[in-house]
Order: sequence, then C-alpha cells, then structure tokens
Amino acid sequence: MNARETAWRLFSSELNTATYEIKGADEKSPSYIVTHLGAMVNRVLIAGVLTEKENVGSGEEPMWRGRVQDVSSGNFYINIGKYQPEAAAAIANMDTPAYVAIIGKVRTYTANDERVFVSVRPERIIKIDEETRKQWMLETAQSTWSRLKMMKKATSLENATEKDLIGLGFCERDAKGIVTALDHYDVPNSATYLKTIQYALRTILPDNNIDLGLPEDVSDLPDEIEIEPGDTAHNSADMEDTILRLLEELDVDGKGAPRDELERRAEAEGISSMELEEISNILMDKGLVYEPNLRYLKRI
Amino acid sequence: MSNNNQLTPLFEELKKVLEGKIDDDTLMKEVKKYVEDYGIDVDRAKRAIIKKYDTDATSSFVTADSIVKKIDALKGSEMNIDVIVKAIYVDKKEVNIRGTKKIIISGILGDETGTCPFTIWEGESVDLIKGETYHFKNAYTKMWNERVQINLGTRGKIEKADSTVDVPERTIPTSESREIKIGDIKEGVGNITVTGRIISTETRNINVKGESKVVYAGIIADDSGKIQYSAWNDYSLKDGETICVKNAYVRAWRGIPQLNMGDRCEVSRVTDNFGQIQEVTSKKTISDIVKIGGALDVAVFGTVVDLRTGSGLIKRCPQCNRSILNDECSAHGKIEPVFDLRMKLIVDDGTGALSAVVNRSDTEKLTGITLAAAEELAKAQSDMDSVSREIAQMIIMKRITIKGNVMSDDYGPMMIVKEASIDDVDVVTEAKKLYEEMEGAL
Repeated sequence: MNARETAWRLFSSELNTATYEIKGADEKSPSYIVTHLGAMVNRVLIAGVLTEKENVGSGEEPMWRGRVQDVSSGNFYINIGKYQPEAAAAIANMDTPAYVAIIGKVRTYTANDERVFVSVRPERIIKIDEETRKQWMLETAQSTWSRLKMMKKATSLENATEKDLIGLGFCERDAKGIVTALDHYDVPNSATYLKTIQYALRTILPDNNIDLGLPEDVSDLPDEIEIEPGDTAHNSADMEDTILRLLEELDVDGKGAPRDELERRAEAEGISSMELEEISNILMDKGLVYEPNLRYLKRI
Repeated sequence: MSNNNQLTPLFEELKKVLEGKIDDDTLMKEVKKYVEDYGIDVDRAKRAIIKKYDTDATSSFVTADSIVKKIDALKGSEMNIDVIVKAIYVDKKEVNIRGTKKIIISGILGDETGTCPFTIWEGESVDLIKGETYHFKNAYTKMWNERVQINLGTRGKIEKADSTVDVPERTIPTSESREIKIGDIKEGVGNITVTGRIISTETRNINVKGESKVVYAGIIADDSGKIQYSAWNDYSLKDGETICVKNAYVRAWRGIPQLNMGDRCEVSRVTDNFGQIQEVTSKKTISDIVKIGGALDVAVFGTVVDLRTGSGLIKRCPQCNRSILNDECSAHGKIEPVFDLRMKLIVDDGTGALSAVVNRSDTEKLTGITLAAAEELAKAQSDMDSVSREIAQMIIMKRITIKGNVMSDDYGPMMIVKEASIDDVDVVTEAKKLYEEMEGAL
C-alpha cells in the first residue's frame, strides 16, 4: 500500500539544520530528510509570511523562488517550477508580504563543500489569515515539543534501539526517526527549539508574558553554524562590520550588492556563506540592510 | 594444487551424497569438468552431478543444498529449505486456480521456536495428520499478511519424520483464544475473544457453492470501537445485548476488519459496563487507521492539505450515477449528464494522511458554494475546473472533522465521508495549555 506521506509541522529552525538524507532506493520509494529531533520528513506543512518572491525563470516557464519567514528570523526557502503548476499560478497572483501556508516536498542541495541546504518545493501555496497562521504556530509548537520530549526519553536510555523505543510506546515512525537522528547527529541542543517555541507562544499570547526561562542572549544561530575549532578570529560584531563594508564596496550601481559577489568576497575575508546568511539576517533585523530582491543585499 | 583444494569440499560432499554410486576418480573428473572446464558455479555443479549419478534424486531434487531450518529463523524469502515440524492445524480443500480445480492443503505448522501458516499446492496425494511430525523438503517461503508462510510446490516432498517435535503451548494459536478490544482488531490477529454489545442485526441469504445459506450479520461494539460481524449459525442475537465471543476470527474487506463467528465459535451472554456506546463515533488518529487498514464509523480530525482532481463540479450519468467525463457513460452510452458537486480531499493530522470523498451537501456546507452557484461560475468562466480552483482556495488549510468508514486500496486509506464540519481550535486556550505543560517540565 502506498499511503501518502504525512505533512510534518516543523519550524525552519528544525528543518534547515537537517543534513542527513535517507535516499529512496528508486524513483518510487520516497526520500526523507532526518532532522536533529528525529522527524523523517518527506513532506511539510509550513506557514508564515511570504517576504519575497522572484521569478527567476521566464514568463512562459516560470521558476519562482521565495522566502517564507515562520518565526523570528527563521526562513523557509521555496522553489516552484513548472511541475508545480497550481503553486506557480497561485504565487504569481500573490503580493508580498502575505500570510501563506505551503504544503510541499522537501529538497536538499549539497554544496561543493558538502554543506546541505534544505528547501521546500510547494505543491500548494495558499493565502491564509492571521488566525490560521497562529493555528499553524500552535500545532507546530505542540509537534516540536512532543519531539523534544520523545528525544529526551530516548536519550535517557543508553544506545536505545528502535525496538526499545517501540517498547516505550513510540510508534514505528518516531522510533526509526529518533534512532536515525542519534546515529547521525549529536544529542540535539534543545535551547534552539525551545526558543522557537517560546517565540511562537509569544506571538499567539502577546499579553501573557511568556518566558520559558531561556537566557535572552542564546543566539538565534541555527546549530549547523559551527565555527571551526581554532577559527575564533571572528565575533559577530566584527563580521557585521566587515559585511557592511563589503556591501558599500560592492554596491556600484545603487541596486545593492550582488549576493554571489558578496559571498565570494566574504569567503575571502574568512566568513563562510552560512555565517554570511546569519549576519545578513541579524543586520536585517537591526534594520541596517535589506534585500531589494533575492539576489541582492543593500545597505539602508 | 590450489584448485584441487578448492574443489575438495565439493568433492567430499558429493561423495557423501552419492554414497558409492560413483568411484572417486570419476567423481573428481566430473567435478573438475563442471567447475574448471565449464566454469559452472559450485552449487549448480553439485546439483548437476547429483542429478546425473543419483537416479533417485532426479525425481524429487532432495538435494544437498537445502538446509533444515527452525521456524523462527525463516525470513519469508527462502527459495529452498527443509523444516521438521508438527502439523498443528490441517485443512484440505478444493480450490479454483485460474479455472483449474486443485486440491490444496493449508494450516499451521509448529516447532520448538514458533508456528507458521503453510500451503501445500499439490495436495492431491498427500495426507497430513494433525499432531504428527513431518519433514518438509524443498519448501519455499513467502511473506503473506506480514507473516512468513511455508509453501510446498511441485518440487517439494513430505516425509513422516522419525522424531517428534515439541511445540510450546503458548505458540499454538488455536489452543488459546486471545482477548482483544474491538478498537484493536486488525487483519491477521488470529483467534480472538471479544466482548461487545450488539448494535444491530440483520439476516442475509448468500450463495455458497450453489447452496443457499443464511448469514446473521450486524454491528457489535465495545467502548473502544465497533466492528461488523457475521455469524454462520443463529445465536439469536438481539439488539442491545452484550455477548462474549470466543474463537472468533477476522477477515478484512477492503481494509475494514470484520469479525467472523465460525463453527468453532462459542457465544455467551454477559453483562457489561460500557455505558452508552451506540452514539459514540470513535475518534482515531490517521496513523491508527493506517495501521489497521480501515475502520468502521470513525471520526478523524485533521487539516485539509490538498484537493485532488475529480473535485468540484462533475458530471454524472442520470441512470447509474457514475461520474463521467464528456457526455458518455461507459454503461449507458450517450446521455444527458446531470451536474453534481463533490470534494476529494487529502486530510492530514500530522500522524498520517488519508483521502476523503465529501458529498454535495457537505461540500456546500463547508465551502459555502452551492451546486447552482458552481454551475453559474463554470458557465461564466466556460471552465468546469474553475470551480475546483475556487474550492481549493476555500478548503485547503481548514481544520475539519470528518466521520465515516475508511477503506484501503493500493493508494492508501480512503474515507467516504458521512458527516463533515470545520472545527477551529481555540488557539489561545491550547497555547496556554502548552505553555503550562512546558513550564512544568523545564
């Protein structure tokens, strides 16, 4: 029986940091990206603000790229091609910013240096209202919390096997995902996910003074940004200055600094593209830079 | 010579099997000819030489390369194995395989390590006696209903074993009927005992092998769920009474498990403490339903994540109600179609996904688009698909509760929806609940 793949509810902080993929043996068997919390993801249900969209294809054969911000500075990256006609038609008619929900398949892209980037290829993208967005945040927070709890339970055993976990009442899917995650990653740092949940709860309950007792300065860095040991030359503030300087240098025609050029120059300064991504997010949050479109970054 | 060394084990094995039917020199020559001169692999060479010199073996292929295995070691993909087993349950019957009548024997075999169903496909001249121990030779195994099954085909052979095999009591499924809640019943649970209240009864006349037979059927429920039952004997079951059924078995129809009360079944009247159960439609997660394969009268709460093709405004044949493309019915030819409205949804609750077919009145209720409005829209746009595009905008991402029966086929589970409603969650209350739980846990 070919049951349809479940649409996972997860935040970008969980999805984007996943690097391990179980590839389907042939075209018919599905591939899964395994997150640090043990979600085995083929399809997702995500929601947030469509902040940018850009047709990088042609009028006849559109190829849409976009960004959907879920919470805080977290972003999902979306790509819609000609095989997603419904989603392509829908996004063509959308203005940014807009609340959207997306049901789609996850895709990975492995860079030359073996870093893995995760994007979503929407099957459906639809406009939603604020209430529906909150519902998604709640459901995703609940779902993330239940994965955190399961992960905690699983790590309290030494080298738990799938069988052990099923014995503890886990369903087969969860048991397999968690064992796979623990095989391929370290025990996850729950602070990242708890912060995301905290942010979601603050959005839903603005008057309730939500505080899960997490230190405010836990950086929003997704945990894939591991600065190489010994590579302590950079702190965030230095990198911010460097990027701001580069932005000015590279903005020759007032359109902003081209992303690829910026990335190349940043690399030369010892800033990896993941760090660059993060620093640009911080600078955007501070209101110092913005993206005129997906391929440019510009100083304000 | 190193080659000779490699051939020695084969030579020794063949010598043992052929027991003096061939002298050592000839045997070594044969071995060398097959393996070295013709490059035949060792296993094939072994079979070929045995076949050539052991005339007894040619008829049955009782070869040296099948191995005696224990039942718990079987994987369901063995091509050629031997088992020494006790026949626990034996059923000889005539079946119709592609138009040919055939006698097969099926049942259950057991050894010290477990039990396993079996089928002997050439059962004409075989007689198995329950309780006796047999040596099944050249059998093969398959997975069926997630269980390993031992099969014996034309190459197979059965001999009475000299020894006997002890089968531990607990592994004999026929000896003890297992008590189970109705909500947990799924295909392949075997011999079960169920306590439930009769919700409805009916009698049906069916035709079994040209003979008219009465089946006593209906619905039985406990506090975990309900299930259809059919009894082959009249137990005078009445609505509202609670019975305990021993030795019942389960068959699934399109994924929906059904309880069967056969000849070995015992029915007794008991009192229960289920309270009011008739009214309750049991609530299930989609993963629970997928695990069982189907369900009778369940409620599922989830998010609509897609609208499949075949949704929206459709045409039907006025005579047989089939949905049709163009204006031609496959049974009634050219007809004047009638319009209808329906949705084929994908509902996903985070544990799994199922498709759900929603009829016209619920489609109108959920989307606010009436059939008349849909027809007008299609006419105005001169495009029937415009209706489903409109509906997709209104229904995707809605959280709905759907009730009905779930069946499964190759494409997964599908619900024919009897009742549907949009059910928004109280986000604030639920968020507070989550916050409290997390605060308590951190």
